[in-house]
Amino acid sequence: MRASLFFVRVALFWGIPLLLPGCIEPYMPAAISSPQSYLVVDGCINSQGVTTINLSRTYDIVTQTPPPVETKATVAIEQEDGPHYPVNESTTKGTYTSPNLTLNTAKNYRLFIRTGAGQEYASAYVPVKTTPPIDNVAWRATDAGLNIYVNTHDDTKASQYYRWEYEETWEIKPPYSPIVEYKNRQIQDITTFFPATCWGNNQSTAIQISNTTRLTQDVVSDFLICSYPTTSERLRSKYSILIKQHAQTQEEYQYWELLKKNTENIGTLFDPQPAQLTGNVRCLSNETELAMGFVGAHSLEKKRIFISRMDLPQKWLIQSGYESCVPPDTIFLTKPFPPPPPAVTLQSYFGNPNYLPIYPVYDQMGAIIGYTAQSRDCIDCRTRGTALRPSFWQ
Amino acid sequence: MKHLYSWFVFLLFLLASLTSNGQQAEKTISGNFSHVPFEQFASQLEAQTKLRFYFNPAAVDSLFITLQAQDVPVRTALERALQNTPFHFAIDDENRVFVTAGVTLEPSLPDSFFRSEREGNLANNARTTEKAPASAPGRSRYVREAEAKLYEIGSGSVRGGKVTLAGHIRELKSGEPVIGATIYSEAPSVGTSTDQFGYYSLTVPAGRYDLKIRGIGIKNTRRQVILQGDGKLEIEVEEDITPLKEVVIEAEKDKNVSGMQMGLEKLDIKTLRQVPTAFGETDILRVVLTLPGVKSVGEGSTGLNVRGGATDQNLILFNGTTIYNPSHLFGFFSAFNPDILQSVELYKSAIPAKYGGRLSSVLEIKTREGNKKKFSGSGGIGPLTSRITFEGPIIKDKSAFIISARTSYSDWILHRLSNNSFRQSAASFYDISANISHQLNEKNSLYLTGYLSADRFRLASDTTYQYRNQTASLKWQHNFNNKLYSVLTGAYSHYAYDITSEKNPVNASRLKYGIKQTSLQADFSYFPSSKHTVDFGVSSLVYNISPGSLTPNGENSLIAPDILAREQAVESAIYASDRIDFTQRLSLSLGLRYSLFNALGPRDVYQYTPGVSRTETSIMDTVRYGSGKVLATYHGPEYRMSLRYGLTDNSSVKASYNRTRQYIHQLSNTASVSPADIWKLSDANIRPQVGDQYSIGYYHNFRANTIEASVETYYKSLHDFVDYKSGATLILNHHIETDIVNAQGKAYGVEVLVKKLTGKINGWVSYTYSRSLVRVNAGTPADRINGGRYYPSNFDKPHDFTLIGNYRFSRRFSSSLNFTYSTGRPITLPLAKYYIANSLRVYYSDRNAYRVPDYYRADLALNIEGNHKVKKLAHSSWTLGVYNLTGRQNPYSVYFKSENGQIRGYKLSIFGRPIPTLTYNFKF
Repeated sequence: MRASLFFVRVALFWGIPLLLPGCIEPYMPAAISSPQSYLVVDGCINSQGVTTINLSRTYDIVTQTPPPVETKATVAIEQEDGPHYPVNESTTKGTYTSPNLTLNTAKNYRLFIRTGAGQEYASAYVPVKTTPPIDNVAWRATDAGLNIYVNTHDDTKASQYYRWEYEETWEIKPPYSPIVEYKNRQIQDITTFFPATCWGNNQSTAIQISNTTRLTQDVVSDFLICSYPTTSERLRSKYSILIKQHAQTQEEYQYWELLKKNTENIGTLFDPQPAQLTGNVRCLSNETELAMGFVGAHSLEKKRIFISRMDLPQKWLIQSGYESCVPPDTIFLTKPFPPPPPAVTLQSYFGNPNYLPIYPVYDQMGAIIGYTAQSRDCIDCRTRGTALRPSFWQ
Repeated sequence: MKHLYSWFVFLLFLLASLTSNGQQAEKTISGNFSHVPFEQFASQLEAQTKLRFYFNPAAVDSLFITLQAQDVPVRTALERALQNTPFHFAIDDENRVFVTAGVTLEPSLPDSFFRSEREGNLANNARTTEKAPASAPGRSRYVREAEAKLYEIGSGSVRGGKVTLAGHIRELKSGEPVIGATIYSEAPSVGTSTDQFGYYSLTVPAGRYDLKIRGIGIKNTRRQVILQGDGKLEIEVEEDITPLKEVVIEAEKDKNVSGMQMGLEKLDIKTLRQVPTAFGETDILRVVLTLPGVKSVGEGSTGLNVRGGATDQNLILFNGTTIYNPSHLFGFFSAFNPDILQSVELYKSAIPAKYGGRLSSVLEIKTREGNKKKFSGSGGIGPLTSRITFEGPIIKDKSAFIISARTSYSDWILHRLSNNSFRQSAASFYDISANISHQLNEKNSLYLTGYLSADRFRLASDTTYQYRNQTASLKWQHNFNNKLYSVLTGAYSHYAYDITSEKNPVNASRLKYGIKQTSLQADFSYFPSSKHTVDFGVSSLVYNISPGSLTPNGENSLIAPDILAREQAVESAIYASDRIDFTQRLSLSLGLRYSLFNALGPRDVYQYTPGVSRTETSIMDTVRYGSGKVLATYHGPEYRMSLRYGLTDNSSVKASYNRTRQYIHQLSNTASVSPADIWKLSDANIRPQVGDQYSIGYYHNFRANTIEASVETYYKSLHDFVDYKSGATLILNHHIETDIVNAQGKAYGVEVLVKKLTGKINGWVSYTYSRSLVRVNAGTPADRINGGRYYPSNFDKPHDFTLIGNYRFSRRFSSSLNFTYSTGRPITLPLAKYYIANSLRVYYSDRNAYRVPDYYRADLALNIEGNHKVKKLAHSSWTLGVYNLTGRQNPYSVYFKSENGQIRGYKLSIFGRPIPTLTYNFKF
């Protein structure tokens, strides 16, 4: 329904105005063009393992750059009336990791941050929750496609509020393996073959939360984590998903619930009223300075499954993702007539590093009259993933 | 025609002066005039003396005066000035000079006039003396005779006591009642006005009266009566055919100052027609929006925000039935055909006790009853719509009908667009109104009204959007006697929408919503004496709502049906009010309305953990109520008080206080009204809204009541109106209370209005400073908005300036100019973005912390009337208009879209260029 309502909106605002001399222009009020930059704290305290915290800054909504990271900060996990554990910046700028820790579940913890500029921030002290293990990750193939579910339970009824993140990996097999390459302004036999398999990777972006407060037992049964249509290219040969489960406090859950409502639907005209949402991180040295993010403390449970093409219904017309790449183009050296010198033709096509030759094309006499070719994206699967086989890959 | 007109004017003044005895003030004048135009001569004389000149400017345009005078008496000077010309003059004892061609007016009555014999004692059987000039053309013989006649009414048994005169004022040609006409005597000063049936009742000491009758759209007239006992006087008045200046003007000219009511804006169809609109068609809601204190969020929206109230706080009554969606085509048109309308009244404060159920205002739309004497019709053809009206008698002089229809044909424009998806779209609407009135006998009349408006859109052959209003009402008016009458009204109104989606057979669905309202109401008006006007009555209203259902559409659809349980409730009220005229200067109106609301089962009611934010997780229990069981009761008094004190004849102060209660809430989390908005009844979890308004105003009329000025200020507090939590889901929500918060509001402002409805230049200028603030401070911190502080509402536009001006070049050509300026409305801006959990998030400003750019717009229209022959087959007129003359791109909407990881802001203007329109109107 939401989709159709959205369509009405679109039509209302774009269609009916077209009857009239309406117009749409960019609109950027001054308040947006020069926003203040606030600290963003992304991550949570892992009570049984390595804590990873990403620090960045809010930035101008019109820019397209990656977010500015906050480097050279001093970060620590602080136990209320107890020891501090440093969280040091790793080799990745803005990412801070702790040693492998086991925190006392009877105590409260917080995250303390002193930025390079000297501002001090801290999250609120939160109790430690222990995440129950994932019972299983189930999947089912329906006529509509593949659904992946998670199941968990907590006999102590202490968890109740859950959040999940996931990381997907899948094999990518490009349709071409060129035997020639264009190097030094000429075609030669290829020296290093392009990888035949790559691994695509994706991290969840949607906020997945659920609670069991209305149930008599603390059981999450078949919570839908993600679903794919029958044609999804990720299912073409082999697919894997790693699910991470967080048990949360009620406050943390409400934060994520509101963040989900608040920022996942942006872009429609009839959006709900958005609200200001910051989290539980406060600036200690300057009350007016804001910070974004909610730092909870809990353990993390993970589970990985694999799904092969063979496991899925044969009738599914799974796409390769390379549909637009077939058939290849053919670059004729003999055309147009009279043909320009071959070097000129070759340079004019393959001078562009993102356009690659695949095979020579011969005439009936066996003479090379051209080459098949495609864009790099159709040939080199590293444009879509990594050629490094993940350590967990089976 | 011009002569006719000038004669009308002469006659008016002549009649107004009939009662006085001729005595001229012997003023002297000085001056040298050499071939000066007569108009200039007259104005110089007016400057030197207290004289007022009355003449037909067209008749004297070739009259030039050459005169040298030094302390010459006026009479002598005028004699000298006009000698050897065909012009004559006459001066009455109020220093009015009438200049006429050919005929000399006699401004005073012959002495014998008042020596009327006391003979017949039946009404309408009095001896009369003809005094109207035999040559006065244009006025019907009936009216001339009636005005000159002396009516003796009553048997004379109550000599010296109080008597009551009652009757109807009707239009002579069509027999339609004249609503809101005043009938009054100047000495002693008593008066009243007609109600919606044209009925009046006047209680005065027995004696002789010169009753004057004034009203919108009628020619002023008078009746002379000798009241000796209770009696009836039916008055027929002439319609004001051509929109000429003096006529409209005289109507209720001092009501601004002398009327009891404050915060009332009354528009008649003629005023409505003068205001240029985007589509060339008279649009009542657009005109209402130009009035001080009335705002909307955007120019394509007809949602009214009256004095800081929300769009659902207006009771829109169409002949007594409630209209839930008063707009067509997403708000670009209002859903009322202008041809059938008689008048529109908007009560912004001092809402009469008779009305209830909404917090901020009452917009009462009345239709005409139809011509009781002959068949006639009218219509109009515009670029997007056409309309037609027929009316006529069913039984001559007793019953009449009027039926009016309007339809759009915007499809052809859509089909011309190059974009394929628009070519597959369709947009259409129509509305039909019909009214039948029947007079059973002298004491009983029946009025039947039906109304249907429907909209249908198909957008890119995917989603079809339909909504409709259907209403009907039956009124029975019964006169018990001259002092007491009643109106029994049964009304039904139904609003429903239906959205069907067909793009994908699997997802094809149908979303429906409907509200039905059935009411029965008895209103009584009692006129015990000239000092008291008592109104009382009872009403009961049954709501039946289908709050939403989503069902599969077609065999292949996999949509799971989702149907919300019905809601039922009964809203009842009892009221009484008394208007007391203590003295000529001081009057007070006291009213009390007591309303009672019962939400009824069958229904499952969720109970929530107290002290915690209401969410699905805080539901403690579900209580099932059986059919007809009361699940929640709310009731309370609604006070209605107003006071008027006349400072001078030309100025007065009025004050009012009223409390209103509202038990039904519109849920819309869009800034403007959309057809998918739903109405929700109060129930165990949603309290009714309560509003209090205090207002005080100063009213002053200048230049013999031709210029009205007023300053009104108000303070309003609103309790428990609905606001939404962040990310509220309103459609198909089984526990809507979890997404709603009770908000408190306050609104205050000053409205300044200067209105001139006479002369070649007329119109009004208004300026409003107002604020409308909301606070959500209840509940848990998570539910609070902006930290529980006051924030501007969506329609908080502090400065608002409107000019509606008309200039009449001649009786056939007139032009109108609109100018509107207002502060831009508040919006919530995304201020910055950031990444959390691998995804882009947006940091928003405080709710409504910023504003869109200011709004201003100018429109121009030119009306060209056909010739003014009274008797011809069809009267026609052309309206040529340009909407948004300067082409300013006023933002209709400001929105943000996420595009390729960037969030971009856009400003959409709908009427971003000047829009010319041409409309042809006809009447036969």
